[in-house]
Amino acid sequence: MSKLGGKVKWLFGEIKEHWNTPAEGKYVPYKEYKDIWLAVGSNYSGSKTLEYISFAAGCYLIMYHYKLPYVVFTAIALINMPLQKLWDILGWIINDNLGFMPKKTEKKLYTVYFFSMVIGIFLIAFPFEPYLNPNNWLVASLNTIRGLSAASAIKILGTHILWNGWAGSRNIFWRKKLVPKFGRYKYFLYCDVVPKCVMVILIGWLPVYAIKDEVTRVWVANLLFAIYNLFAFTNCLENCAQNISPNMQERILIRTYPIKLSHFLNSIMVIVIPIAIGFTRDEWADINVYRYVIPIIFITFATLTMIFAGRFKERIPQPPLKEKVQIKFWDGIFGVMRNKYKWMLNAVYLLDSLGNGMLAFTTVLYLYTFRLSGLSYGLIVSLVSFAGTPPDFFTPYFIKRFSYKQIMIFYYLSRAIGWSLVVATILLCGDNVTLCGIVCVIILILLEVTHTIPMSVMHDMDIRIGDYQMYLSGERLEAFSGIFGWITGPIASLVGLIIPILLLKFGFNSNWDVLFVDMSRVKIIVIPILFDIAGFLFMTIPYFFWDYDSVKQNKVIQVLKRRAEVTEKKAEEEGESVAGSFTG
Amino acid sequence: MKKDKTKKENTAPEVEEEILDIPEDEIWTYQIEGLAPPKIGVSYANAKGKKATFIILISIAVILSLYFSVRALLNTGDLEYKAVDSGYELVQFSNNGLVKTFNVDKVADIDNSKIEAGAMIAGGAENEEDINMDFLTYDNEKTVTEIHEYAFNCDATLRVINIGKDVTKIDNKAFYSCWALQCIYVDEANPNYCDVDGVLYNKDKTEIICYPIDHDKYLRQEFGYTDLVDDNGNPMEELWGPTEKYDEGFFRQYNEKVRTYVVPSTVEKIGPLCFNYANVDTYYLPDGLKEIGTLAFFDCGNMHNIYSYVPTADGVSETRYTGRESLGGIYLSLPESLETIGSDAFTRDRGLSYIYIPENVKSIGHHAFWDSVYKDGSELKGITQMNIAADEATFKTYQIGSSWRPKYDYLLFKKNIDTVYNAERQPVE
Repeated sequence: MSKLGGKVKWLFGEIKEHWNTPAEGKYVPYKEYKDIWLAVGSNYSGSKTLEYISFAAGCYLIMYHYKLPYVVFTAIALINMPLQKLWDILGWIINDNLGFMPKKTEKKLYTVYFFSMVIGIFLIAFPFEPYLNPNNWLVASLNTIRGLSAASAIKILGTHILWNGWAGSRNIFWRKKLVPKFGRYKYFLYCDVVPKCVMVILIGWLPVYAIKDEVTRVWVANLLFAIYNLFAFTNCLENCAQNISPNMQERILIRTYPIKLSHFLNSIMVIVIPIAIGFTRDEWADINVYRYVIPIIFITFATLTMIFAGRFKERIPQPPLKEKVQIKFWDGIFGVMRNKYKWMLNAVYLLDSLGNGMLAFTTVLYLYTFRLSGLSYGLIVSLVSFAGTPPDFFTPYFIKRFSYKQIMIFYYLSRAIGWSLVVATILLCGDNVTLCGIVCVIILILLEVTHTIPMSVMHDMDIRIGDYQMYLSGERLEAFSGIFGWITGPIASLVGLIIPILLLKFGFNSNWDVLFVDMSRVKIIVIPILFDIAGFLFMTIPYFFWDYDSVKQNKVIQVLKRRAEVTEKKAEEEGESVAGSFTG
Repeated sequence: MKKDKTKKENTAPEVEEEILDIPEDEIWTYQIEGLAPPKIGVSYANAKGKKATFIILISIAVILSLYFSVRALLNTGDLEYKAVDSGYELVQFSNNGLVKTFNVDKVADIDNSKIEAGAMIAGGAENEEDINMDFLTYDNEKTVTEIHEYAFNCDATLRVINIGKDVTKIDNKAFYSCWALQCIYVDEANPNYCDVDGVLYNKDKTEIICYPIDHDKYLRQEFGYTDLVDDNGNPMEELWGPTEKYDEGFFRQYNEKVRTYVVPSTVEKIGPLCFNYANVDTYYLPDGLKEIGTLAFFDCGNMHNIYSYVPTADGVSETRYTGRESLGGIYLSLPESLETIGSDAFTRDRGLSYIYIPENVKSIGHHAFWDSVYKDGSELKGITQMNIAADEATFKTYQIGSSWRPKYDYLLFKKNIDTVYNAERQPVE
């Protein structure tokens, strides 16, 4: 007891002593922990609130007020898709250069974006309808789609081109202006938060949903939501906080305590928002949800975010922006391709797609096997999900004790074993609902208990790989890493078809009631889990080749610090700005 | 000692604080031992070849990605058959949103090249009535003899299915969730199955297999209820109760013609999933019925009455209701002959208010009456009491599944409805 008391006393003294100045070897004073907690909490809750607004069939605003045909969302995605690859590439170049490119490249990009905006506005504003031949195959086809016409498809394409031109030029302009001051992860909050708040209000108040003609309503809504999406309010402060220190232990400590605790704010909002909406007359179908409830909650969190966002910063050892490495397209592509650890993680993600399309086992178990509802359902869901929280606070200990490789191999093996036990339980004692249920819930709790620490490790692996990429290429190349998605995407789509096709054969389609059919339910649960188990076993393989340990990471950080030191010194000697530099 | 050794092996190596000496002019090229060398601002060996390979690979990936996206948008439909000893089994019928009548007789094929482009976009066709159906062809050489479980699962377009004479095996789940299905017709020469006015039975009519979900729509058309309007004059498809325009008498007649079903006196078994989602208000079940299958009346929220009848010597073969006189003796709730009630047989049937479990019932599946009671304010509605003919001790010796009785919200948990043993059957009003 006295030992514990001594520890508490030490901790209290430590926090008091290093409240404003970090301890030796560390970079973050404890005061910043408090700011991270409040800033990330507000930012996360605000971004979660915005999930209620999206141009998708599942959004209540679209569902109850815009009433757009389901098919238009797929059609619009298809119209936008071919050009999207081009915008992606341009975006990678800008983002990984943090907006600082050679004058010539910058000029070229501005020209492309400017003309895109002109073309976009022209396509939206010009009345094409009289000039389109209704007998043309493509025109006739587009005219037959509900909610679309050939003329409106042109306007939708125009919106896409205008949006990308506008977003691209803003991207260069604001990065150059704001990255030196606010860093690479949170700069956009400072230029986007006000217009975002305005758009959140306008989305609820502009009566676009009252447009009678469905075709017009579709393209105008698409334009409105495109403008809304132009301004970002993503969970960027969490990214920033994850890169807050070059000290690996400190990173983990911050991820484990202030970041983790900050999410509790959103846990409260998950309860508060539905209650607030419950007070409106038609609940989710009430337009006042989008006129008052969502804007008030969002603006509150946006304000809190902006108050606390400036009180902490990322600390990646890097040269001043004026001295930073220029990333050309091929440098970016070859750079990420040379990073073998990125290949390993992408191989893991790809293998993970073996389980894509399976139904949430717990949902099926609780709702269809045990027929839980109300409090009993809430209690068991909370119990299982809470089981992962306490171990998370011991993450720093586990990371000290075990290597990342050991933790990740253990993680995937434990998934495979756990789910195998679930399958065995269902098959062997499925008839005894009580026994089967108790065993399954115990296994689920154990799986949850062993889930959170590896997740923290996995996130930190990403950050470490970013450091390694910076050592390899002079930049983190986070944007160029998107190329892996291009490669793995089609394979994942193909592999991800396996389970839905099987489920279809066992009777699972759009009607979830099929899960009341006992034999079908067992097949629908068990067969996909077997695929998932195979996936987990395969996913251990890349980690056997994982040799990026803490020793190497320390050396990488030393190289990055040295580069920052030398380039900063050079910039100072040449009388240039050292903005953006961090030498550690 | 051994323990210590294991511990050491499993422990992450302590981070060695090795300080690197990196000369100023090597900051961009300094290679850490065991890691690849940095490549910053230098050209790559064999760059042209690498670029070409990369472009080819990425082009393939992008094309595949576009292909999957287009495929998701286009609904081409698919028919899957499997060769079996007796002929072919229809495994999967995926509608392209255009097929409203389908024959399960010969192996069919969908020729997508014959479908108009606009009609191929899922949910995209504006006027489906005008679409040319030439794309659907049948191969007279290949005979279909079986229908697999879930073959027509969740189809929302099909209205009529014609079963050929050679089909000898139909899974009970074959027509599951066929939301728009109005009638299943069977070739008279079929030795195993038959239909009675579009409802599927086995040949000797001892088992009723499938009452199509939208069969009431067919009956509305049959009886001329196609131009119903609400009190504001707006067209409405169904009538849910008396209105200013349609009085009590009109509604009763409507219910008797469209939403009343008489199960023929030959029937001993109501097959699994038979009446699930059916829009039927009143059922007349024969005293002779022995089994109600799993999920047989699942989610029949519009069902308000179950009567049983003791058939006359001639029997009852007419499924349309023509009056109680033609049915012989009538009594309330499940027939005395009943022995088995399958699991989830009456799940979500909240329209029922009275259930009597007869003496002969020896087996009740789990959750047989699940979610058939609910609270409307403080009032309990639906099946609020379970009336059991047997005494408690005898009943408990029967094969009774878990949670077979309805439960309702009580405080923060769920509570079983009351059970009355040795109950007397309520008389017909």
